[in-house]
Amino acid sequence: MVTVTINGLDVSVEEGMTILEAARFIGFPIPTLCYHEGLSPYGACRLCVVEIGEAPRSRLVSSCTYPVEEGLKIRTASKRVVQARRMIIELLLASCPQSKTIQDLASAYGVRTQRFKQEYEDCILCGLCVRMCSEQMMAKAIGFRGRGTERSVGTPFDIQSDVCRLCGACMHICPACQLRCTYNEPEKAICNACANLRPPCLEKEQYDDMMCYMDPCVACEIK
Amino acid sequence: MEQLTSFGMFKALQERIVSESCPEIPTIVVPAGTCGQASGALELIRAAHHHILKNNLQARIRIRATGCHGFCQAEPSVYVEPFDTFYPKVDPARMKDIIQAALEGRTVEDLLYVDDAGGERIERLQDIPFYRHQKRTLLSQNERIDPLEISDYLKIGGYTAFAGLLADNDPARIIEDVKRSGLRGRGGAGFLTGAKWEFLARQADGKGKIIVCNADEGDPGAYMDRSLLEGNPHSILEGMLTGALATGADQGVLYVRTEYPLAIRHLNNALRQARELGLLGKNILGTGFHFDISLVKGAGAFVCGEETALMRSIEGKMGEPRQRPPFPVQKGIENKPTLINNVETWANVPVIFRMGVEEYAATGGGEETGTKIFSLVGKIKNTGLVEVPMGTPIKDIVFNIGGGQSGKGGVKAVQTGGPSGGCIPAELFDLPIGYGSLAKVGSIMGSGGMIVMDENTCMVDVARYFMNFLKGESCGKCFPCRKGTQRMYELLDDIAAGRGTPGHLDLLEELALVLKDVAMCGLGQTASNPVLSTLKYFRDEYLEHIENKRCPAGVCKALIHFSINENCTGCGACVKVCPEKAIKGERKQQHVIDAGLCSRCGSCKGVCAFDAIEVR
Amino acid sequence: MNPEHIEKIIADHEGRQGAIISILEDIQDLYHYLPEEALRMVARKTGQSLVDIYGVATFYKAFSLKPRGRHLISVCMGTACHVRSAPGIVDEFTQQLGLRPGETTEDSEFTLETVNCLGTCALGPIVVADGTYFSNVKRTDVKKIIHKARTGAAGARSGRDERLFPVDVLCPLCGRTLTDAHHQIENNSSIALDVSFDGKKGWIRLSSLYGSTCRESEHEMPPDVLVSLSCPGCGRNFPEKLNCIECGAPMVPLEFQGGGVLYVCARSGCMSRRISLDVPVLRAETASARQA
Ligand SMILES: Cc1cc2nc3c(=O)[nH]c(=O)nc-3n(C[C@H](O)[C@H](O)[C@H](O)COP(=O)(O)O)c2cc1C
Ligand code: SF4
Ligand code: SF4
Ligand code: SF4
Ligand code: FES
Ligand code: FES
Repeated sequence: MVTVTINGLDVSVEEGMTILEAARFIGFPIPTLCYHEGLSPYGACRLCVVEIGEAPRSRLVSSCTYPVEEGLKIRTASKRVVQARRMIIELLLASCPQSKTIQDLASAYGVRTQRFKQEYEDCILCGLCVRMCSEQMMAKAIGFRGRGTERSVGTPFDIQSDVCRLCGACMHICPACQLRCTYNEPEKAICNACANLRPPCLEKEQYDDMMCYMDPCVACEIK
Repeated sequence: MEQLTSFGMFKALQERIVSESCPEIPTIVVPAGTCGQASGALELIRAAHHHILKNNLQARIRIRATGCHGFCQAEPSVYVEPFDTFYPKVDPARMKDIIQAALEGRTVEDLLYVDDAGGERIERLQDIPFYRHQKRTLLSQNERIDPLEISDYLKIGGYTAFAGLLADNDPARIIEDVKRSGLRGRGGAGFLTGAKWEFLARQADGKGKIIVCNADEGDPGAYMDRSLLEGNPHSILEGMLTGALATGADQGVLYVRTEYPLAIRHLNNALRQARELGLLGKNILGTGFHFDISLVKGAGAFVCGEETALMRSIEGKMGEPRQRPPFPVQKGIENKPTLINNVETWANVPVIFRMGVEEYAATGGGEETGTKIFSLVGKIKNTGLVEVPMGTPIKDIVFNIGGGQSGKGGVKAVQTGGPSGGCIPAELFDLPIGYGSLAKVGSIMGSGGMIVMDENTCMVDVARYFMNFLKGESCGKCFPCRKGTQRMYELLDDIAAGRGTPGHLDLLEELALVLKDVAMCGLGQTASNPVLSTLKYFRDEYLEHIENKRCPAGVCKALIHFSINENCTGCGACVKVCPEKAIKGERKQQHVIDAGLCSRCGSCKGVCAFDAIEVR
Repeated sequence: MNPEHIEKIIADHEGRQGAIISILEDIQDLYHYLPEEALRMVARKTGQSLVDIYGVATFYKAFSLKPRGRHLISVCMGTACHVRSAPGIVDEFTQQLGLRPGETTEDSEFTLETVNCLGTCALGPIVVADGTYFSNVKRTDVKKIIHKARTGAAGARSGRDERLFPVDVLCPLCGRTLTDAHHQIENNSSIALDVSFDGKKGWIRLSSLYGSTCRESEHEMPPDVLVSLSCPGCGRNFPEKLNCIECGAPMVPLEFQGGGVLYVCARSGCMSRRISLDVPVLRAETASARQA
């Protein structure tokens, strides 16, 4: 057991836990996007940042990847943390405004506008689907490609992967788009359109609008 | 060649090399690193070989092709030992004159370096202002050795320091000495090298430990590591051997960027030679000490200079950084404890032991010791590599060594630290160079790039340039780094295109500050520096772009236009170079530019000898 | 694509650290890009998943998944080159070739790319065409560079003949001249040697021109064998000294009249040369061997 101070409260937690696990265990909420309990932590969305150490040498770290250390001082919602999260949310809104998850985050943090050029992207590269596919489905059908602004998720050569199990887990876990996971559960679909199609997204132009990142879409391959 | 299996053999070999070296025979030294070769050094060597073979001069003169000496501006150049004569910008046809003069102990007067300021001819290399104000402990070795010959390195005392330390076999003492020397990592962050070694030494043995030489040199505009890799590869191997001895590492890796083919060739050759002599491999000098080094090529990714990304790249994966802790010394390549040092750091290690810890620690300014190599490039007269003690004021580097601005406009700023650094305005040029002092003014030392900017460099354009670089080089893992760099680029692009509003500046600053805070690795954490430092010191330039839609430096294309004033003599030089055929006029009459056709490329300004092209 | 080549590359890197990147680099050296089939094969043979290999191939800038042109033009866009007007140079190439950076002309002649710094910043702006560096490039030089690349003059030697002088060498063992005035290569006397490999023995003639690697031989040599070179005069095999800088294979020393050595690499695919006109200690064995 190690003792840490979270928001002024001394608590003793198990060694090897991450700050996120410890804080949630105690009951302090920390927002996350790229974290999922069943998957290895990845530290990419940076939404879960918390402030550690003491001013003036304190710094922000992603709580989902940072292990607790004896005597660590942690603030989960300091001004600096909240400011950072709001900016990240603003960036998320600027890229992916259609996501329900992101809209919820924005409203929770009172971010009502965004000041950048509006984009409508269908992926925030949180990597949940990639980890889902390799860690839970043991398939390794999809992965990251490229780097920087060119980075994307998909299959090698953008053609259907022969190791994909067509399980749909990747779409189910995706926070960027609610359409993807709904075609199996029509009652949850936003417009129901996809559920009536077989295969769900008939035309390429159409599924571009539906933000399907795979070309061809794995769902379309399910006949 | 025989393997050296004892200190006695090592000593004997070294003595034999020194005794047979005939220093009295004049030697023609030609710097032939990548930069030398790009300016024609191989032509000089060919011409020299031709002349020597034709006249059977082999016994009377020697030729040595070396790495870069630093004065790249003057290349292809020739330096003659033992007279120290220096000839800049040599025409291959004049090589025979130089050889003949060297044989007779003369100089070729009309080929000597002419100082711009004094106008007089300067004969000896060390009297030239560019060299006179430097302290070249590392770079001066480059003149003296052919990097392809281990015997040359042995001749100047190479591997002696390591052999001595190996004989003493006191690792703790080595670490103590490196700590006392005050050497800090030359790769950017300036972490104390001795302390870093101690961490590795303390790790439990068993799994094996790895030490890495970070030769990724991704900072565009910096090339001092290249000059060491190409010009003196054995000094890096000797540094790594010393590090291995001190820390108990048994495996070394040289991670070299693929853009440096010559460095890779020289390193491979050096590794082969060191192995053949028994200075690398099993049972080194018969002591039972094992250490070998392998070379891994990068494949073009700036972020792979970052330690955790570099380790992944060595493992053959995508070069994505990961969160620390665990630190590389705890969990590095293939989970083995790993230590990473920069090329220049490793090259400094043999110097410390050769010159003595006390003397090394006395070089430089106070806490920060030793020398640092900078690549002085951009709008400066003497471009090249300069090596100065820590604590040297920037103005000494820019004016005394660099000779001031190259063009007409005065020096406005220097940019240090590459994409992670910032711009330092001319008002602050009294600043002594050091890790702490540069950080204080919002830049960083980085690996040692120093890019001089003058009145014709637009600071908005510079910030935009770096952001464009970073948005492509960010690994793309952290959302705020990937999108933040893209968004900052968009905002800067708006400003440069005349679409900027005061809101742009606020948003830019807000975003820059957050990115600094939240990014996972050093790339994202420092990506804001070019923006924040230009905003801090050159806000008025940003405001000119935003409020008056004007680019004072005449760079941002959307905000400038070209015209010809009455200085025009009608020579027609500009007409010839204009790619758009936008310039018209009678011979000897003032010409005019058709603004509709002009693409604002600036070609005409570059060729006009009469200052007649105006940019507004 | 030849599967055997790929197999050999993979075998060469068997079990080595960081092998995937090195394997892809070697494949790219061979084909100037990474063919899809080659990546699939690497995945099969190394047992790694295709996603990871594809990820690596797209992450690093040195790799290209699209075939590239015969001539590669790289314009440096590093900071030092940028402040010295490199963007204008790129614009000019773009106009002249009708290409944006990263693209290849339809006739597969040219690929234009930008790079981040070639480490020759003092001489910027820098353009590299087929391995030849052009320094201090101005917009007006662009046409010339394209022309040089197109005519193959960028990579190969060109210009004044002064540079391409012939050399005369002797056998280091018997001191006889090796110059063969009857067998001309590149309009000059050649260097006559005997060669044996794979149980075959025959003659070989090397160009005597400085820097040239041209040669003719009685038997065709496979690209990657170590040959034994011997003196046609005394029949003895040359000693092997020094390792080749290019490939690490042993080199044999041929001597110049009046001192100095011309080293020739003994690997058939390389045979590169190195001239050394002084004879310091570690190379002295040649001279002493001859006296003995
Ligand atoms: C984005 C990024 C790029 C870097 N590039 C280099 C580099 O090219 N060369 C280098 O030596 N260090 C580079 N570094 C610093 C290294 O991560 C590391 O600090 C250094 O190699 C440690 O060696 P030192 O202690 O000898 O300085 C880079 C760091 C970051 C964050
Ligand atoms: S559907 Fe295919 S790609 Fe998606 S998680 Fe399942 S196996 Fe992986
Ligand atoms: S597709 Fe969805 S789950 Fe996958 S990385 Fe993108 S946003 Fe995350
Ligand atoms: S800060 Fe940028 S470069 Fe570093 S890990 Fe994050 S995305 Fe990659
Ligand atoms: S949840 Fe921790 S970084 Fe995304
Ligand atoms: S910036 Fe162009 S070579 Fe370095």
